[in-house]
Amino acid sequence: MLFPCTLEQGRCNAHCPKTEVDFDLLSRFYWNEPYDGAPLGHFTRILAAKAGGHISGDFQGGGTVSALVTFAFNQKMIEGAVLTGSEGIAPVPRWITDPKEIANHAGSKFIAAPTLSELNRAVRARARRLAVVGTPCQMTALAQMRMNPLEREEFVDPVSLAIGLFCNWALDHRSLVAYLKERMNISDIRAMDVPPPPAEVLVVKTTGGEERFSLKEIRKLIPHTCFICPDMTAEWSDVSVGMYEGRPGWNTLLIRTRVGAELVDKAVADGWLKTEEFPKENLKALSRAALAKKERSLRQAERQGFLNTAAENERPSLYIPSDVVERILGREAA
Amino acid sequence: MTKAMLAADPYNLIITGVGGQGNVLASKIVGNMLVAKGFQVTIGETFGASQRGGSVMSHLRVSTKSMLSPQIPNGKAHLVMSLEPTEAVRVLNEYGNPDIKLITNTRPVHSVGVICGDDRYPSIDELKEWTKKLTAAAWFIDATDEAVKLGNPILGNVLLVGALAEIGDLPLDRESFRDVIARTMHPDKVGLNLEAYGMGVQMVKLHKQVS
Amino acid sequence: MHSIIDGRPEDTQLMQGNESFARGLLEAGLIVAAGYPGTPSSEIIEHLAGVSQERNIYVEWSVNEKVALEVAAAASFAGLRSAAIMKQVGVNVASDFMLHLAETGTREGMLLISCEDPGALSSGNEGESRPYAKLFEVPLLEPGDIQEAKEMMPWAFELSEKIRNLVMVRSVTRLSHASGNVTLGSLPEVAAQANFKHRGQFLDPVEGPMVPLPVFFHHAEMQRKLKEAVEAFETCPFNHYEGPEAPEVLMVASSACSLYAMEAIQMLHVTDRVGLLRLATTWPLPPKLMETRLSKAKIIFTVEEVLPFMEDNIKALAAELAGRIGVKIFHGRGDGTLPSVNELNPDLVAKGLAKVLNIEYRPVAESYTKAAGAANEAAVPARELAFCAGCPHRASFWSIHNALELDGRDGFVCGDIGCYSMALLPTGFSSLKTMHAMGSGTGLASGFGKLRRFGLDQPALAVCGDSTFFHAVMPALVNAIHNQSDMTLVILDNSGTAMTGFQPHPGLEVDAAGNDVLALDIAGIVGAMGAHVETNDPFDIDGTQQKILDLLERGGVNVLILKQICALSPEKKGRKLFQVNLDESVCLGENCGCNRLCTRVFKCPGLKWNPVTKIAEIDDVICSGCGVCASVCPSGAITKKEVA
Repeated sequence: MLFPCTLEQGRCNAHCPKTEVDFDLLSRFYWNEPYDGAPLGHFTRILAAKAGGHISGDFQGGGTVSALVTFAFNQKMIEGAVLTGSEGIAPVPRWITDPKEIANHAGSKFIAAPTLSELNRAVRARARRLAVVGTPCQMTALAQMRMNPLEREEFVDPVSLAIGLFCNWALDHRSLVAYLKERMNISDIRAMDVPPPPAEVLVVKTTGGEERFSLKEIRKLIPHTCFICPDMTAEWSDVSVGMYEGRPGWNTLLIRTRVGAELVDKAVADGWLKTEEFPKENLKALSRAALAKKERSLRQAERQGFLNTAAENERPSLYIPSDVVERILGREAA
Repeated sequence: MTKAMLAADPYNLIITGVGGQGNVLASKIVGNMLVAKGFQVTIGETFGASQRGGSVMSHLRVSTKSMLSPQIPNGKAHLVMSLEPTEAVRVLNEYGNPDIKLITNTRPVHSVGVICGDDRYPSIDELKEWTKKLTAAAWFIDATDEAVKLGNPILGNVLLVGALAEIGDLPLDRESFRDVIARTMHPDKVGLNLEAYGMGVQMVKLHKQVS
Repeated sequence: MHSIIDGRPEDTQLMQGNESFARGLLEAGLIVAAGYPGTPSSEIIEHLAGVSQERNIYVEWSVNEKVALEVAAAASFAGLRSAAIMKQVGVNVASDFMLHLAETGTREGMLLISCEDPGALSSGNEGESRPYAKLFEVPLLEPGDIQEAKEMMPWAFELSEKIRNLVMVRSVTRLSHASGNVTLGSLPEVAAQANFKHRGQFLDPVEGPMVPLPVFFHHAEMQRKLKEAVEAFETCPFNHYEGPEAPEVLMVASSACSLYAMEAIQMLHVTDRVGLLRLATTWPLPPKLMETRLSKAKIIFTVEEVLPFMEDNIKALAAELAGRIGVKIFHGRGDGTLPSVNELNPDLVAKGLAKVLNIEYRPVAESYTKAAGAANEAAVPARELAFCAGCPHRASFWSIHNALELDGRDGFVCGDIGCYSMALLPTGFSSLKTMHAMGSGTGLASGFGKLRRFGLDQPALAVCGDSTFFHAVMPALVNAIHNQSDMTLVILDNSGTAMTGFQPHPGLEVDAAGNDVLALDIAGIVGAMGAHVETNDPFDIDGTQQKILDLLERGGVNVLILKQICALSPEKKGRKLFQVNLDESVCLGENCGCNRLCTRVFKCPGLKWNPVTKIAEIDDVICSGCGVCASVCPSGAITKKEVA
């Protein structure tokens, strides 16, 4: 904090994905059901997806996000999009209104970015009907914001489309820069990637080739808040998109809401998106990975006093119904 | 040069307010008027850092005998003249006594603490209640409002000088006021200042005391 | 400002103490005056500068007090009466030269006028410089009222010429800033002809070089001159005694304390029991005069500020004379009769005297005191010190404070002297973590910046003003650069010496008298020294914060000049840069989550909290149009539009 805060309640606390997030409240608001702790969250369909013929580009994965956002512009479903680009390795959030700029913002970023600050700026400038692409924590914050938690009378939801990204962890920008600076010339960096297991490296693509860094070292640069995050697939979005392990050039696509479903169906019909069935074994593997993250994080949160209960004068980070917690941690009575 | 009588010798007057209200100028005007009448005047001021948002207090002492301490001793003020109502009450803490007279402008100047919402500023009625308990006679005058009507809020200080004169504890009059103003200010300004002075005299004549 | 040459001889005017000093210096034929702004001394130079044309005198705001003393000394060496004027801490700065000046002596009359600040009304210390007179063996005079301040000047100059040495004159806030009746004398016609004679014999004080060698010879001369001064002191017309010939208690007081002592005796109605020696010649004590008075009373009560300087000297003298005058009982600051810190006033002196005489002193009934206290508790809000609306320092410290927090390495700011000293308070977000003397912020940061090898990885910053930069920061900055210290200096350039009344300094194109002079370029100087320099407008808080963050990452000495004119500057008066508005439909008040950042933390007096509507407002009268709050509000509720 820059200054000591004396607030009891405020938008900061209500929106932040790490302060008193009530999963049951969110679930009832968005899905009309109690929160059940399903590994991939609430979804209606899971598909393999990639950008269709109308959209071209050199995509890191399948280009699904770029395709959906471009199509949404095309359909006049949105007037602007809040995306994350980069300057060197620094992620830079941007509010764009010209779909041609989408391509500049494609690609995974492994560094935590202040994307929602740009959303705030756009909203303050009276922008409406926006798409937001973000990580699970950002989607959680956005989901809370769209609930109008402080019950403002004049509230109007400025977001029309929320696209979540799969995420296991992110890296703190300053720490990463300090680490890389000592080992290479960071101005040469063009892209970063974390190849799927069993590779345990961070690959940094430079003008001269590639540098590899052991993930064991890199993991030390993960912000501590990532360790209590139970959400791998961005459960509070219209659609969620991630890599498709074992199938380069394709994405995993989870459809969660009616808005998401309509957009995907139309995009496929109009040739902007290609989808295929998502194999059961992959679904099992994905669910296992997601559950593992949930379990790890809830255990850590519980240990640190951030789950449901809290130390005196402090407030918990997460509220999850205790039976759900027990189930996830494998402790429920037989 | 005849020496008119003082209500007390030494007579101790406090002129107080917030930095920028012109109370230093008011004390110089009153001081000069009295020196011209042959009195020994001592004025003590607090300057410097206090101008950055703080209270400014002038102690004006009038005597037939000699220069005095520029600080009035505890409880020995005869009259408090204030450009800001809470400053008048503040001064009573150290310098007040049951026989003291008080004349104050009613226009509040909020402290930073009040402006930002940390402190509460009292109502004028509350202040009147307190002054009833702590003074022998009090006048609450809308000096700034009247000064604005005359064209400049800063004339409030001159208005209070007129009011002070009318109260009568000190041998102040319109002629000696005019002499001092003519000596120290641009000729264009003399007329306006005289008007403000006269307005102050009128206000004391008409306003009922609080006590 | 009223001119000190108005009026005719024999006129009686109401004059401020400093005005009276200035008038006295003119009546005594002063030709050259130099000083550095410092409350409560500044008005003396200002008044002299105001009439420098008409009176054909040279008046200078020097870069610091040591140079001011040197400038005045040059005039004295060249045969012109001169004076150096400063506040108590200035004498500390000038002391090295003062020591050597006392050794070489002076030629035409020269005075050092020190205006001190007991009670620290406008200082960060309660130091005093009377002991310098004893230390450097020069005579010390303290006028006891405002008329005396004027009349003492010619007498002091004559004494200085008689002994060919510096004479120190000491005043305090309660004299310098008080006003009283002054009867004017006449202004002389002075034909100034400057010539520095230096070709005479080595040891010739009138025509030889002004050097202190051989030291023992000159030291002996100093002591001889002091003895001459003491002779003159015995018959000094400014020492007064009133009271019974053999009082029960002898009070000895100097400076403003003489007035307090007089009043205390009156208030207690003990004029028949207590005698008062109002001493103007306080170092050295004239032994014959002192013996006369000391021998006639058993109890000696010394009243002075701030150190028991006179008291200790009187005790020493009394011990010497004990054989003839008997053993005395002493009261004063030493035994707690008077408080040992803070300034005095008639009440404290009366309380002390009442204790000595074993009588009661109760000024006001307790019931009244209680009621007045209750009124103040209930209805009188405190007035805290704050930066003015539109002050560039508020914006600068907002950026500095936030950058340090964001940087996260527990960095800190070493403060310095000026309006920005207030940044140790909430008005400057309590940013200053050290504060000492002029230039000390940079000196300390230079030191902190060398401790990395011992594990101190906290970023060290220093701040200083534009005037402070020239006064004392430059050598400290040279030190940091030369010794490769890691630190960042932020120069807060508001184009003037603001705290003391907006006097000019070497960075500006005008001098004390308003003449055109050469301005020195701070950025150029710093660059030439070899530090990395950048400049920014402090009102651009986003840009400034980023620059600071970037500089904190760099090693070595980095300087950021934040240039924006003072809100109270006569040049700026009233002109707004922006029209600032607050959109009530956007401000969420308590519901925002910013926790009232604008009014609770940023706290510019132009931003009001409306307790009824529970949102913020701009007070258009107080708002000075700097536009900074528009960048502070996280909701964008505050907007600014450039004024044509």
